[in-house]
Amino acid sequence: MKEKERDVIVETVSRVMIPFIQLFALYVIIHGSGGPGGGFQGGVVFASSFILFVIAFDILGGRKRFPESINTTLSSIGLYIYAGIGLLAIIFSRGMAQYLNYGFIPFTSHFQENRALGMDFVEMGIGITVMAIIASIFFDLAQKNE
Amino acid sequence: MGKEIKKFRIITICLIIIICTLFIYIADDIPNFGDPNAPPIKFVEILRVELNQESDLLDQNKIPYQLLSELTNRGFPIPVRIEKSSEYKDEWNGFIIKEEPHYEKEEKYYFIKKEDSFLKVYRYAFVVRWIEKGLKETAVPNMVTYGLADYRGYDTLGETTVIFTAGVSVILLLRRKSRL
Amino acid sequence: MEWFLAKIFAKYNYWIFIILMMIGLYGILAKNNLIKKIIGLNIFQTAIFLYFISLGAVKGGTAPIVDEKIIEKGYTYANPLPHVLILTAIVVSVATTAVALSLIIRMYQEYGTIEESEIIKKSTEKEI
Repeated sequence: MKEKERDVIVETVSRVMIPFIQLFALYVIIHGSGGPGGGFQGGVVFASSFILFVIAFDILGGRKRFPESINTTLSSIGLYIYAGIGLLAIIFSRGMAQYLNYGFIPFTSHFQENRALGMDFVEMGIGITVMAIIASIFFDLAQKNE
Repeated sequence: MGKEIKKFRIITICLIIIICTLFIYIADDIPNFGDPNAPPIKFVEILRVELNQESDLLDQNKIPYQLLSELTNRGFPIPVRIEKSSEYKDEWNGFIIKEEPHYEKEEKYYFIKKEDSFLKVYRYAFVVRWIEKGLKETAVPNMVTYGLADYRGYDTLGETTVIFTAGVSVILLLRRKSRL
Repeated sequence: MEWFLAKIFAKYNYWIFIILMMIGLYGILAKNNLIKKIIGLNIFQTAIFLYFISLGAVKGGTAPIVDEKIIEKGYTYANPLPHVLILTAIVVSVATTAVALSLIIRMYQEYGTIEESEIIKKSTEKEI
């Protein structure tokens, strides 16, 4: 089989840039309430770092670094976090039973600040799910089925 | 095979021309680009009432009888308090009471304006509540984030389920041999 | 001259939306290759998103993040509601494109071609 030619410039640049892309994605997810950003945007930027790795190196190395069991586990955990915060809100609002009203969960002692913290948790859950699903779709579409 | 494809393309172009003429026909009602008085951002008119001489009642926090009967006939809620909206002479805001625990009791609902023997009643868009009271109710400065995760949090839950289902269906379609 | 300015230049987002949407609709209906149909679908969806967000623009408006120093200078806020609804719609469009592309891969493995007319011919011959 013909071996793929190595492209030195692309390999070196991506080796330097991939950690910074992931750091920027985490910054966009966490600062979703103070400025532009949020869960969906940060998740897609995180997944694009895996796509850059596959473009620069080969696809089997990419699959070895992000194995399939971790992929499916992460995509379910994000959805559990979202629905779980809603269930906590039902448990803590005794008597009124309002779903996804984050003000009743006792993180702090004010009603308004509880809502801001509940929103941050929910955005992190969305970011994890979107990142795992987009990486999984990309690996499935690009891999040859022998 | 080429003749059938050419006939189909001519039919498609005729359909596109018909749809374009329909779009040009309705181009009068579309609001201008960047209009600050368009319905999505401010208010929309719901009814107008003929006026005798009772508009001074609005200054003293009372509602004229004709306005009250017209509102109850059409099924709108009745305002509780009326106050002046700005330093212009003939514009008032109407407030109603909404029963939601842990929120403020009164909400700005109606905009009443007197214009040469008519009394026009507008209703505020609910985006006005997002813009004015959002930072006080949730301690977050970003309007899009608290609109997506707090006031409309249920839609975002369905949204995450949609993308999860897309990932699962791609796995089911493309892994047939042994890795499933 | 008056009606020209009032009708065409005041609503230029509407005319751009119509042109892009008709290009996308022609791509879906009249092309023979399956990948070109998916590209037409994406152009159609992009036209709808652009129009809906441009409905929320306000003259003299700035980004919808609450800040008191900006209000004193005389700006107002743009409408945040279309941004919220279109975020959901963009994610739905990504999911639809992913499933459509995986369907095309399965059809290629089954029939050996991506042209739509040949697929119809082969599938009717298989039934007989």
